[in-house]
Amino acid sequence: MSTLLNSLTTELRRGTLTLAVLSQLRTPQYGYSLVQLLESSGINIDQSTLYPLLRRLEKQELVTSSWDTSESRPRKYYVLSEFGLEIFLQLREEWISNSKMLYGLLKGDGEDELD
Amino acid sequence: MNLIEVYIHEVTRRLPEKSRADIALELRSTIEDTLPDEYSEEDVKTVLEKLGNPAALASRYRDQPMHLIGPRYFDVYVSLLKMILPIAAVIALISMFAEYFISYSGEESIVNVVLTILGKGIAMIIEVGIQVFFWLTLTFAIIERTDKGIDQVPLSSSLKKWTADDLKNIAYIPKKKAISKCEVFGSLMWTAIWASLYFYADHLMGIYTNSGEGLEFVIPALNQEVLLRYWPIVIVIIALEIGLALYKLFKGQWTTKMAIVNTVLELFATLAFIVILTNPNLMNQEFITYMSDLFTTTTKQFEIWFIGGVIIIFILTAALNIFDGFRKDRIH
Repeated sequence: MSTLLNSLTTELRRGTLTLAVLSQLRTPQYGYSLVQLLESSGINIDQSTLYPLLRRLEKQELVTSSWDTSESRPRKYYVLSEFGLEIFLQLREEWISNSKMLYGLLKGDGEDELD
Repeated sequence: MNLIEVYIHEVTRRLPEKSRADIALELRSTIEDTLPDEYSEEDVKTVLEKLGNPAALASRYRDQPMHLIGPRYFDVYVSLLKMILPIAAVIALISMFAEYFISYSGEESIVNVVLTILGKGIAMIIEVGIQVFFWLTLTFAIIERTDKGIDQVPLSSSLKKWTADDLKNIAYIPKKKAISKCEVFGSLMWTAIWASLYFYADHLMGIYTNSGEGLEFVIPALNQEVLLRYWPIVIVIIALEIGLALYKLFKGQWTTKMAIVNTVLELFATLAFIVILTNPNLMNQEFITYMSDLFTTTTKQFEIWFIGGVIIIFILTAALNIFDGFRKDRIH
């Protein structure tokens, strides 16, 4: 992939990451389990982006965190707060309507090309 | 050596004290999660490389820019720098000149004076430039880090968000009509040069010979007492020239009024200098003899030729200046 295409793709994806992460935090998750969940849905997220993102979401009070020390390895669990759930649902609406619009645009484009 | 611990330390040492322990614990647990049960150093390296440069990871945690001055302030910063640098340099130069001339004892040869001033001036400009650059950059870097404004919209020079009303504050001046700051400072410099030539003519203008230890001033060209008799007129001309230069700086472009003022000043100055130059006692007799010997003419011929030449040059430059002023005023 050319570097330009690469940077454009990264830019496109950047905004979607927050939404993807929020969508998976209805149940408590720790860092690595979240990576696996996202990867199983085909979303490749850079770990160096994910961990700071989780902390930022916590600072913005969209998620809450708690340490689980009962297992051999201590793990920090993150889960959506009530406020976070509210925001997530609104963001989801926004995304869906946006994708519909963009899909309409892109479909139109495709037909032009075929003519 | 435990690479994981070193990596975690490299990240956390760049973070604020209070969040270090928590982030370190979380990083260690996630790194270990990612590794297989029995892992080799190669595995560790792969995982750490995936996490990337510790400095970059730390900056993501800090949520702080990895630049000194970001897009929000960059334009204001650059325009301030462009504005302050030349002003600071000129003020520094003028104060240096003043200091030098106040302490000038009149004993040093002119070449030495020029060389010292030139050297000191260049050093001064470099020093002032570095100082201005450093302090301005530091100020903006601090503002960048303390400003918690969420939106990263670039600011206009009034430090507010840009609006269409900002356009009203910009004076639109066609390029050919504009008076550059260089031009203004150039004319101020020229005034300073000829004024010092006038007041120090017995030290500056005349014959130099090479005595082996640099140039030595031997014969002054003009009689200083005769020259200084005209000082009130000269002071008036200097004041008018400085006034016109400041007026040009203030207006930024040629106007009809300015062209007329310019014409009056040029005519007045030319007339005054013709009066001074045609004074029969102005030239030093020794100088005339020396020069007429040099060109093998009579003293009378040399005097006519020399004074005439200077007067013609004066009139030509004055006419050119007057014409140029009106030509620039005409441009729309």
